[in-house]
Amino acid sequence: MYQSFIGLEIHIQLLTQTKIFCGCRAAFGDEPNSNVCPVCMGYPGVLPALNQQAMHMAYLVAHALNCTLAPQTGFDRKNYFYPDLPKNYQISQFAAPLGTDGYLDVEFHRKKKRVRIHEVHLEEDAGKMIHAGDMSLLDYNRAGTPLLEIVTEPDMEIGEEAEMLLQQFRRLVRYLGVCDGNMEEGSLRCDANVSINRRGEGLGRKVEIKNMNSSRFVRKALNYEIARQQEILDRGGTVVQETRLWNENRDLTETMRVKESANDYRYFPEPDLPPFNADGAFLAAVEADLVELPAARKERFMRDYALSEPQADFLSDEKPLADYYEDAVLQGADPAAAAGWLAGDVRKMLNRYNTALTESPLSVQRFAGLLMLLAEGRIHGKIAKQTLEAIFTEDKEPELIIREKGWEQITDSARLQTYVDEVLAEQARVVEQINSGDARPLGFLVGQVMRRTSGRAEPQLVTALLKQSLGLEIVHVLSFGGAISGTRGDDGLIVPGDLRDLKDIIDQEVSTRIRFEEVQLGRFLSEEITPADWATLIDAVNTRLHTGDASGIVIAHGTDTLAYTASLLYWFFADSTVPIVLTASAVPWEPISERAQSGSEAVRNLRAAVERATSNVPGVHVVYGEQDLSPINLKFERIGAESPDLPGPFRNWNQSTPVYRGRPVVEGPLELDLAGLTERLERTIGSIYVAKIYPGMRGDALIALINAGVRYFILELFDTGTASLRETPFSLKQAFAYGAERGVRFFCTSQQEGIVDFSEYVTGHELWKEGAIPMGTLTTETVYTRLIASLIASDDESEVLRRMEEAL
Amino acid sequence: MESYWKSVLSAESSRAAYQSAVTARNQQLGAFLEFDPERGAAVSAEHCLEAVNRGQRAGDNPPDSALATVERLPFAVKDNIAVDTFSLTCGSRMLERFRSPYSATAVARLCAAGATVVGKTNMDEFGMGSATENSALAQTHNPFDRSRVAGGSSGGSAVAVAAGMVPFALGSDTGGSIRQPAAFCGVYGLKPTYGSVSRYGLVAYASSLEGIGVLASSVDLTEAVFQVMRGQDEMDHSSLATPAELVGASSVAQTGTRVGVLTGDLGLDDQVAAGYQRSIEVLQQLGYRFERVELPTLEYCVPAYYTIAAAEASANLARYNGVRYGLRPDYAENPEELVRAAREQGFGPEVKLRILLGTYVLRSGFQDQYYLRAQKIRTAIRNDLTRIFQSVDLLFMPVFPVQAFGHGAEGLSPFQQKLADRFTSTANLSGLPALALPMGLENGLPLGMQLMAPAFHEHRLFQVARVLEEELPPPVPPQYPPLWQSHTVPE
Repeated sequence: MYQSFIGLEIHIQLLTQTKIFCGCRAAFGDEPNSNVCPVCMGYPGVLPALNQQAMHMAYLVAHALNCTLAPQTGFDRKNYFYPDLPKNYQISQFAAPLGTDGYLDVEFHRKKKRVRIHEVHLEEDAGKMIHAGDMSLLDYNRAGTPLLEIVTEPDMEIGEEAEMLLQQFRRLVRYLGVCDGNMEEGSLRCDANVSINRRGEGLGRKVEIKNMNSSRFVRKALNYEIARQQEILDRGGTVVQETRLWNENRDLTETMRVKESANDYRYFPEPDLPPFNADGAFLAAVEADLVELPAARKERFMRDYALSEPQADFLSDEKPLADYYEDAVLQGADPAAAAGWLAGDVRKMLNRYNTALTESPLSVQRFAGLLMLLAEGRIHGKIAKQTLEAIFTEDKEPELIIREKGWEQITDSARLQTYVDEVLAEQARVVEQINSGDARPLGFLVGQVMRRTSGRAEPQLVTALLKQSLGLEIVHVLSFGGAISGTRGDDGLIVPGDLRDLKDIIDQEVSTRIRFEEVQLGRFLSEEITPADWATLIDAVNTRLHTGDASGIVIAHGTDTLAYTASLLYWFFADSTVPIVLTASAVPWEPISERAQSGSEAVRNLRAAVERATSNVPGVHVVYGEQDLSPINLKFERIGAESPDLPGPFRNWNQSTPVYRGRPVVEGPLELDLAGLTERLERTIGSIYVAKIYPGMRGDALIALINAGVRYFILELFDTGTASLRETPFSLKQAFAYGAERGVRFFCTSQQEGIVDFSEYVTGHELWKEGAIPMGTLTTETVYTRLIASLIASDDESEVLRRMEEAL
Repeated sequence: MESYWKSVLSAESSRAAYQSAVTARNQQLGAFLEFDPERGAAVSAEHCLEAVNRGQRAGDNPPDSALATVERLPFAVKDNIAVDTFSLTCGSRMLERFRSPYSATAVARLCAAGATVVGKTNMDEFGMGSATENSALAQTHNPFDRSRVAGGSSGGSAVAVAAGMVPFALGSDTGGSIRQPAAFCGVYGLKPTYGSVSRYGLVAYASSLEGIGVLASSVDLTEAVFQVMRGQDEMDHSSLATPAELVGASSVAQTGTRVGVLTGDLGLDDQVAAGYQRSIEVLQQLGYRFERVELPTLEYCVPAYYTIAAAEASANLARYNGVRYGLRPDYAENPEELVRAAREQGFGPEVKLRILLGTYVLRSGFQDQYYLRAQKIRTAIRNDLTRIFQSVDLLFMPVFPVQAFGHGAEGLSPFQQKLADRFTSTANLSGLPALALPMGLENGLPLGMQLMAPAFHEHRLFQVARVLEEELPPPVPPQYPPLWQSHTVPE
């Protein structure tokens, strides 16, 4: 087993108005040699005059990186000859860098790590030499641009961590407003040192890698380099200490120069610049500019505004958006609604009109105003979207738009009640039908009231008023196959059926105010479920949640696959305000049974489910007899299925208190229709493979699966996440490497009830290095459905990963 | 005299006469590398005002009398100090064709006060030398004896003043480069406190040691020029304002001033030793109290000075690579070769020697032995002088162990010249102000001594110098009488 060590040297160009030692404009992309003067051209007799703004920004970054700030700092001359370096020495910091001993926290695949910052120092940039054919041209516009160098300790192990650190650092400097972080244009540059050694033997021989002008290339170059060095050590060779260049066209590193001895830069103190004293006033000014940093802001967003991690990530990513969001909340917008709108409809509008939020007609005031109109019930969701669109097209205040267009909805319950009363009086026959137990025509009545208000009433309010007037509670019972809806044939075998009889039985036992809306979704046994069946179920639940008349939804399901369906529904509807209750029974109701009908398991479970569905406890539930279970981490263990003394066939793994409600993976209204959802589910499930690790499992089996089109593996590992990585045909190592090259992801769960975080065993750590993603406490079934939901929710690979790794 | 200089450039006729007289004298003496009063007149005063306002503190605003003194005066500038559109050769082939795109702050402040640059003076290449014999561009002769050197490196400026071509000139002093030629030519030469005059526009040789100073024909003028130039400058972050408690300190004569003199064998030749003794006697007669002081670090001055100067020079001169300006070889295979050829052809042997020396002492692993040790000596010298200035107000010392020596092999070897810098380099290592003053003639050659004072106490230097000036006015070279006496040039 090898250990790898990665350290980064990051350079950022500070966004000062002028260069670090003269008054020239510090700008990218101007006419070559247009921003130059005798000072930055190194003319005879000129002297450097330190730009205070550069020093301020430098201390700001060092502070944000938790460095010890030097009370006195100074400059040194670093001597080397190069045509793009006007003075042939660079004014830099050597003896007393302005910041030392800092850190930046990064997290990759649930592994949190503190990367130590060795030092932060300020220096001047060189010009650019451009080689054109047999000519070399020099542009000195960049010469003298303030450059801040951040040197980390070799605390990273894999390219992904370096990529993460770089992305996080980029976000940080953009937040601080000191650098635009553009790697292509070179305002953020990164070199890396990498070495490997046998575990426990300390640092190996260092190779420096240059020319990586994106964070993606940093990852690829480092992983390439680690693999290259491993191969050398495997063959018994020694790594040559050298500088290598990343070749982005060939995806490999190449020798640039072999270092025979260290360069001698003959550092000595810069006599032209006196020491800089970071006095109280200076440090206070730095402190004042230290804005809340992205990581802290994201956490605060999650804490203060109850946002999900992807939402908080999205909002805190860029400071202007985060500021906009908070400003809107401050002006009265609901935090959750504002987050949803910004990530959804507002983003769509911005894309459509190809504009930035802060430059769009949607000022913070208008945005907050729109959401407040919605919250006050003066407009409903559909009208709100139209109003948003009108703000973009007409550039007017939302208040004015709804007044001009007459979109304001009727919120006055008393006034609406008169319409409800009128409709009820008119539709006596329909009312009769409902009172006799058939709740289906309720939707018709809602439509009647809506028509009377010309669509300006809120449908949910109308429904509520109607239900109130009729004294109704409505539970939809969805029959979704399984023994609970089945029957036992004459030959003793269980065959699929429907709930009809069962419903008749319990109908008599529950409150007369409850109306059943029973829907037959399929006649099949639980083990026969197909992606199309899931699509039907999701679509049915979605429809019922949005018509708004249900007090609760009950799903009668089979036992075999209940753990899958329950968690799948959770990832779609975890934020449902209406209780969604799944139940099952091992055996069907049997009229010929000796036992009392009402005592049969099917009847008992269904009755318990209906009670739960009318309990007003929101979220997704699994009810089995006496058991109230969480839909996630549900395990069908069948322990005690036959014995009344034991708890029951189902259990939640790794869960002290059951979780019913939370953030769904698929947020907001479902935008796919049934056909679309079916197609998407089939495609998605086709790219996933669930595999259990076992002794003697061959890695090439996984390779064959990858070749057959599998993109995502859920690997059920031993205990807290171990597997064989020895160099044998039974090792997974090759398969991981093969998969990693092809962008295949490996999500890891436990065969036991272990919490998979790769923190305990060496093989676990190696798995992490190979790119396996530990899924913590989640069970295979729950991870499988979460992956399905994540893939439905987004086409973007990084977004899918983020949803998968988001803490529960 | 004053009225001559104030009007010499204003009328067409007097300017022409002046120009031809200076040109004639220059042909004999080689003081100027470029002489062009018209170009100097074109350096606009308004443009220069900007430099005056660039960070100069109120306390350093020149008194009206100083402004009045320099107004309308012509002056010469050593060719390592930038004057817009003039040459800036530094006495080197490397910059032979270079013209400065800007003016030094010190020059600009003088121009803003109404003084006019008339030309640029010869010097040892990049200030490296004590005889102006290391100039790659011209030879400069001592006006008292043309077979002798003018001293250096500000030899051209000293000659221009001594031979009456200008009333004052600017020079630079890294290890004695103003005071030694001033002593050789019999004029006043001020090396101000480090940082009191902006170095912006002074081509760097040894940044931590050097500064711009004045060579002039009278104490009043020396002081006035200094007062106009001094003060903080935003373009030079090592520049300093006069400490508040010293602002406006008077240079009026005070009784009871204590003057320190060095004891022991100072290694002076007979003439200089006798001159030093005689000078002390003169001062005693004038009522100054003398105290014998020891300067135990004196013998370490020269090695420390050359180590630091060479180290800084090796970096400061690295910019001359033929890429952006300066001498460029006609052909080079690649950038490395271009740089190598430009430096090979552009630098003289003394410059190359010091660059190599400086590179050597800065190598990693050798810094403790050389560069850092030199810095320790420098600190010790500073401490020595701080101690001495607790018991005396001024220090009185020789400038150089010998008088102006002969050209070439007749004179001192380069090594002897370096050793002889011990009296002058003390002020550079410590950053203290020092003034070389003429003490009459010895064997027909000027004899110069120097006064050194604590930092920002230039007024004490002028105070004593002014008293002495009455006793021992600066000598006039017999062949070069003042121009207002004769515009004719003797053979």
